[in-house]
Amino acid sequence: MKTTDDRRAQFDAECRVAGLSLAARDAELLYAMWLEWLPERDRLRAAVPAAEDEPWR
Amino acid sequence: MAVSVADLDLRGVSEALARRELSSVEATVAYLDRIAAHDPVLRAYITVTGDMALAQAKEADAEIGRGARRGPLHGVPIALKDLIAVAGVKMTGGSRVLADHVPTRDAFVTRRLKGAGAVLLGKLAMHEFAFGRPVTEGAFPTGRNPWDVQRSPAGSSSGSAVAAAAGLCAGALGSDTGGSIRGPASMTGLVGHKPTYGLVSRSGVLALSWSLDHVGPMTRGVWDSAVLLQAIAGADPEDTSTRSAATQDYVSDLERGARGLRLGVLKRYYVEFPGLHDEVRAAALTAFDVLRKEGATLEEVDAPSLDQALAVWAPLMSEAYEYHAETLRRSPEQFGEGLRTRVYFSALFTAQDVQRAQRLRARIGREVDALLSRVDALIFPGQAMPALRFEDFPSTGFAPASIRYTAPWNLLGLPAAVVPSGFSGDGLPVSIQLVGRRFDDATVLRLARAYERVTEWHQRRPDPARWRL
Repeated sequence: MKTTDDRRAQFDAECRVAGLSLAARDAELLYAMWLEWLPERDRLRAAVPAAEDEPWR
Repeated sequence: MAVSVADLDLRGVSEALARRELSSVEATVAYLDRIAAHDPVLRAYITVTGDMALAQAKEADAEIGRGARRGPLHGVPIALKDLIAVAGVKMTGGSRVLADHVPTRDAFVTRRLKGAGAVLLGKLAMHEFAFGRPVTEGAFPTGRNPWDVQRSPAGSSSGSAVAAAAGLCAGALGSDTGGSIRGPASMTGLVGHKPTYGLVSRSGVLALSWSLDHVGPMTRGVWDSAVLLQAIAGADPEDTSTRSAATQDYVSDLERGARGLRLGVLKRYYVEFPGLHDEVRAAALTAFDVLRKEGATLEEVDAPSLDQALAVWAPLMSEAYEYHAETLRRSPEQFGEGLRTRVYFSALFTAQDVQRAQRLRARIGREVDALLSRVDALIFPGQAMPALRFEDFPSTGFAPASIRYTAPWNLLGLPAAVVPSGFSGDGLPVSIQLVGRRFDDATVLRLARAYERVTEWHQRRPDPARWRL
């Protein structure tokens, strides 16, 4: 179970990897949105595509 | 002029012009007067092109007077979301970034509408670059809902919805990347049609996400949307997604009714969604019964992978980051806070996320195509809830639930239309949505019309006496 601090550290790390250098207010708003959508991203990363699931064309 | 133009739908204006009960100049002046009277509150327009509209209207009247009416849009005043280029007219995208941008060429859809003889009243308010949040202040307010001016009309084609619903134009074009035609149309009691991806050219239209963007009509009636779609559909060498555009006659089959058509109700994913407003659900279930009585066959269907649709949609919005990244790095202060948040969010997906999303997108497409091999169209509520008050709009980005009813159909590029299906206890419009097979927009519109013609929701008009702050 991740703590709030763990989540925030993960978010900050992802921003660094993406090359985002944000003002404090932008960072707070983005963090809130990132948290709200985290379940969807977890769902994406947990999905197991089948062999026939080739990328959409 | 015996008719009250503002109460008419596009068909009413078109038929009045055809009968010579109304001239194009009279219609145009009526809309311009109404814009002058009410747009200071409603804020549907960013730019009003009054002089150009009157010149086009005079030309239309002269041609019609010679017996040379080009078709149902000739002389009809319409308006465009301010991300669709009109040569010589400012196109802002609702953003300070493009505040002084004046395109030198018409968008493909603009050329088509001009060719059909439509009169252009102006450019319509929108959420910043079709991805910002609703705002009531500043240089680019996004518009107020004519059914309750303390509520947002949703977005991003907010001005298109406000203008068409409030009678500030006969019809409008919007764009839809995750629901930006269908959401605002639902919130304002309009028909909103997101055409099949590749049916309507995006050239000359500001991009949000190239693989998800669609341009389409927002109108008071189904016939109106069909006529606009007829004018703008077709292949354009400047938009390669339209290479295989297969146009149909969207108007002639509208009155064939629902008899014999099979509808799949997406019950689990949509009707039973806990976030669905009770009154929207009740109105949708009643609407399903209406279509059953009109002779359609309804059956419950499901595509389990729809559960992954929003997880798939979000990383694909990294296309928006690619589009804006350079400007955002250079001058972030030029963008509104809402847009900055959403674009930054789009940067937080990895390359693997995007490819995983593309693979799951294909899976959802296979499942839905299988459903659409058994039924002619899918049906479900148009949105989860009626229009929100401005203060209730999320201050951060947007909740996944807010695009649940619309974004999956951008992923798959299928034709999708909302049609008014009632009103909430607060007097706010609600809708149902129909989704059809790729390039079978005609069946979607036919079904929408089959419902519309036996109901009266589309005939209700918001009360201008309530357009006060």
